[in-house]
Amino acid sequence: MAVRGVKKLIAVLVIFLSAQFTYGQQSASVNGYISDAETGETLISANIALKDSRKGTSSNTSGYFSLTDIDPGTYTIVATYVGYQRYEQEISLEPGQSLRLDIKLDPEGFQLEEVVVESEREKEEQRNIGIAQMQTKLIKDLPSVLQSDVFRSLQLLPGVKAASDFSSGLYIRGGSPDQTLILLDRTTVYNPSHFFGFFSTFNPDAVKDVRLYKGGYPAKYGGRLGSVLTIFNKDGNRNEFEGSVSVGLLSSRASIEGPFKKGSYMLAVRRSTLEPALAILQNTTENVPDSFYFLDVNGKVNYDANENNKISLAFYAGTDNLEFPFATDAGIDLNYGNQTLSSTWTHIFSDKVFSNFTVTGSRYFNYPSINLASTPIDRSNNIYDFSLKGDIEYLPNDNHEISTGFWIGNLTLKLQDSFDGEETFSSRIQTQYGSWYIQDKWDITDQWIATPGLRIAGFSEGQYLRLEPRMALEYRPTDRIRLQGAYGRYNQFLTLISNEAFTGFDVWLTTNDGVPPAYGNQYVVGAKTIPWEGYGLDIELYYRSMNDLFELNPFISDQAGLPYEEIFRFGEGYAYGAELFFERQIGRLTGFAGYTFSVTRRKFPNFNDPINNQGTARYYPPKYDRIHDLNIVLQYDLSKRWSTTVTFNYATGQAYTKPLGRTTAFDVPTSGLSFDQLIVGRVNASRLPDYNRLDFSFSRKGTFFGMGEAEWQFQVINAYSRRNVWFYNYNLDENPAEREAIKLLPILPTISYTVDF
Amino acid sequence: MKKLIAITTVFAILSGCELYEQDEYQEYYVVESYLIANGNLQQVRLSTTNPIDETYQFEDNAISGATVEIQRLNPDSSVAEEYSYQQQQPGIYTPVNNITVKATQLYRLQVTTQNGDEISATTYVPGNFETINELEPGYVYQGQQQVELTTTPSSYITDRQTYFIFTINALDTNPNNLTPFYADQVDDDETDVEEYYVNSSGIVNEGNFEQNPDGTITLRLPWLAVAFYGSNNIIVNAIDDNLYDFLRSHDTQSGGTTLSPGEIQNIRYNVNGGIGIFGSMASDTNGTFIARP
Repeated sequence: MAVRGVKKLIAVLVIFLSAQFTYGQQSASVNGYISDAETGETLISANIALKDSRKGTSSNTSGYFSLTDIDPGTYTIVATYVGYQRYEQEISLEPGQSLRLDIKLDPEGFQLEEVVVESEREKEEQRNIGIAQMQTKLIKDLPSVLQSDVFRSLQLLPGVKAASDFSSGLYIRGGSPDQTLILLDRTTVYNPSHFFGFFSTFNPDAVKDVRLYKGGYPAKYGGRLGSVLTIFNKDGNRNEFEGSVSVGLLSSRASIEGPFKKGSYMLAVRRSTLEPALAILQNTTENVPDSFYFLDVNGKVNYDANENNKISLAFYAGTDNLEFPFATDAGIDLNYGNQTLSSTWTHIFSDKVFSNFTVTGSRYFNYPSINLASTPIDRSNNIYDFSLKGDIEYLPNDNHEISTGFWIGNLTLKLQDSFDGEETFSSRIQTQYGSWYIQDKWDITDQWIATPGLRIAGFSEGQYLRLEPRMALEYRPTDRIRLQGAYGRYNQFLTLISNEAFTGFDVWLTTNDGVPPAYGNQYVVGAKTIPWEGYGLDIELYYRSMNDLFELNPFISDQAGLPYEEIFRFGEGYAYGAELFFERQIGRLTGFAGYTFSVTRRKFPNFNDPINNQGTARYYPPKYDRIHDLNIVLQYDLSKRWSTTVTFNYATGQAYTKPLGRTTAFDVPTSGLSFDQLIVGRVNASRLPDYNRLDFSFSRKGTFFGMGEAEWQFQVINAYSRRNVWFYNYNLDENPAEREAIKLLPILPTISYTVDF
Repeated sequence: MKKLIAITTVFAILSGCELYEQDEYQEYYVVESYLIANGNLQQVRLSTTNPIDETYQFEDNAISGATVEIQRLNPDSSVAEEYSYQQQQPGIYTPVNNITVKATQLYRLQVTTQNGDEISATTYVPGNFETINELEPGYVYQGQQQVELTTTPSSYITDRQTYFIFTINALDTNPNNLTPFYADQVDDDETDVEEYYVNSSGIVNEGNFEQNPDGTITLRLPWLAVAFYGSNNIIVNAIDDNLYDFLRSHDTQSGGTTLSPGEIQNIRYNVNGGIGIFGSMASDTNGTFIARP
């Protein structure tokens, strides 16, 4: 008995010790940067996996990846990215080895045949919940109003709506544009619009990565109730000099990029070329601006100091300038724009720890100046935002990916108004803001991933400190199905005064004593599936609450003399919806179809209250609430030279207020005019006619006298010239009142020519 | 049952049923009257609203045979004096006696229709104020010297700042006398020149102006307010809360603010049993001459 017992004990000890030995045997790792083999441009969210295993990851926003806790042995490492050829490489890992492998992907050549995609975790695009990615090539291929635009391309995605053909503003999941944080190279941009909202400030030639977190965004970001849009500009070709010039009807662009010792640079310039059109109009039509142009410059310089350290400097400067004498003895001058500057140090501490530290500066300026009969009305509006942020990614083991970071900054808002030479309003708010976050992407099992997170945000103007818990959960019953859910609490300390039709006067205001931050909860559930190879089918349901919304009270015509909190109105809102996204990524015909069902409501005091019970506000839909929205984008490679892109949008009508009655005040003693009044029932309770529009573009690739590649692009917007309605205007000067439909864009052909050298 | 509701909702949505329905047109009584401190009681208009798609004429919507009264109230809202009105024309009622409106007093308009429907509204007349400086006999349009008025403050029932409106009443209204900016408006927009006989600044808060050490305020008249050369009466008006609500919400309804185009909100009326405006103000008038440059 005793002998048997001892034998048992020895057996247990042997097993235990051998297990310990196996456990203690040092695991290996592989890490590095993944980039474009031709240009050296790092690739964000590329997929890297070990073939025939469940190990896989995606590269981060610096193009860096790390796979850890790998048992020593021989593997095939596989890397894929949309638009690039599949990469395979055999690697051998010794115990405890940390293999540095910088992967270079070759761009996909033209292929008519279907690309067969295999391997279990290969399609591991970082398709986390609520994220949409837009390829810059698609942005340039899409038929566009006069020139390609990042924001207008995003408006084609489910969940993202446009206010009108004239607006590039992003209305995402029931939120207004100020509920989306816009980051360019990690720096906040405060008025990302050119041409008074017609286009965004982002030059597609300069952009590398466009990523939209539609909802339920992670703890790494904060400060807005709804969404986050991160845009990274190109680093510049690290291998050879190249450039491009593009001439179009509205604007022209030029860009150059290339290597220098241990680094690269990129410079892209864009300027409107409306002067000839203006000159012609000035001779034939009245009320044409004397001068109008917009201009922007994007640049970046990268220095790869060594394997573990990179430094980059990125800047953007853009401006819009208008001089418009619109009547005798009356005119408006408007100059507004943005400038951003950021510098990032990327440091790899070890195969387990990766970090980014960035210093950012952002300025938004806006100088409208109106002169009516020698009565000057001037405004000087400036925002200065300087900040420091750091992000650290730590992979303690295979199951955890911990991210933590901070963002601290100083925000100055200066607003000065003067009327007839007298200062009527002057405000200078300087506020400090800070946040810290921690998040863990935890692979609980092979099928379950949980990402809990916490963000703490503070804002000195009003002394507000807020906790923002975040949670995301994912279940993968099979390789082709991902079931996802997310919850987050979000706060917003800023509000934007803007107009859907015109962003040239945008002003940002902050919280303060008596003006608490807006906050909301988001709940998202979804499923992302790969029904067949090369296809994707996603569905997502969301619900958002919005509380303590603060916005400028539209019924206060003059704010002078009022305490700060009295210039606002405070309200609430909610939004819910379902989005369906179906895409095909292989073959000659690619594209996607997106359908959104959405409902959003707002409620503000003294608004939409019954006329005989004023003071009891009711929920109403904002104008941009469209219940059904369908977008179809198709791209077809006709041949090696010719390709076509077609987009079709159908949406049920936006909300508008149909007046029910009218009356007039005849004897107002302060005026010689009668005051016609509309009597309304419920605000925005009627719907404009449905919106639909078909756009197409044809592009032909060729060469420019043998010196470089060239491309003609011929586009038609609104191919069947449907005159969609923007809004109705009720003219009470007519009796009975006449309703006039203000229409959106008619058929609009454009042509552009681009040379790459 | 719950399943049935859910299915019905989904079906309703998919079939395009409205989630948020518009109201039907409803007719409301409309009153209109104004009190000017130290002026006589003015007429009261009584009518109804009109459906938007029908022709609107005041005469067709006038309400006749109503009992109309304006009451001066004590601070505790009890009635101090009553002033009766009589029907002058359909929908227009005038005071039986000539009564001078007193500043810093509470007044109520009380209307009872033949049907027995009651409409009422209350206003507090702002305190009187006066210009204490002498204006120049004349000013050159857009010249170096602007019209400046130093006024005593106007009090109100709450301690809010004063809401001013400046009106310029032109006395030489020959269209050839229009200043260039307004001449252009009349030519281009086909606006009637009569609309500029009384030119208004819109609401201007007292907070725009610096207060002098003696509590007076110095206001500078912007050239934009002058539509005609020649003799002009410059009237500074301090308005009550009803006019403040009515005029600023009317401005918003006319568009151009942060509201989206087509998003229309009712005007703030402050009338019980109906809609309209019962507003008051205190005024101070100064005359001057604006010469051509």
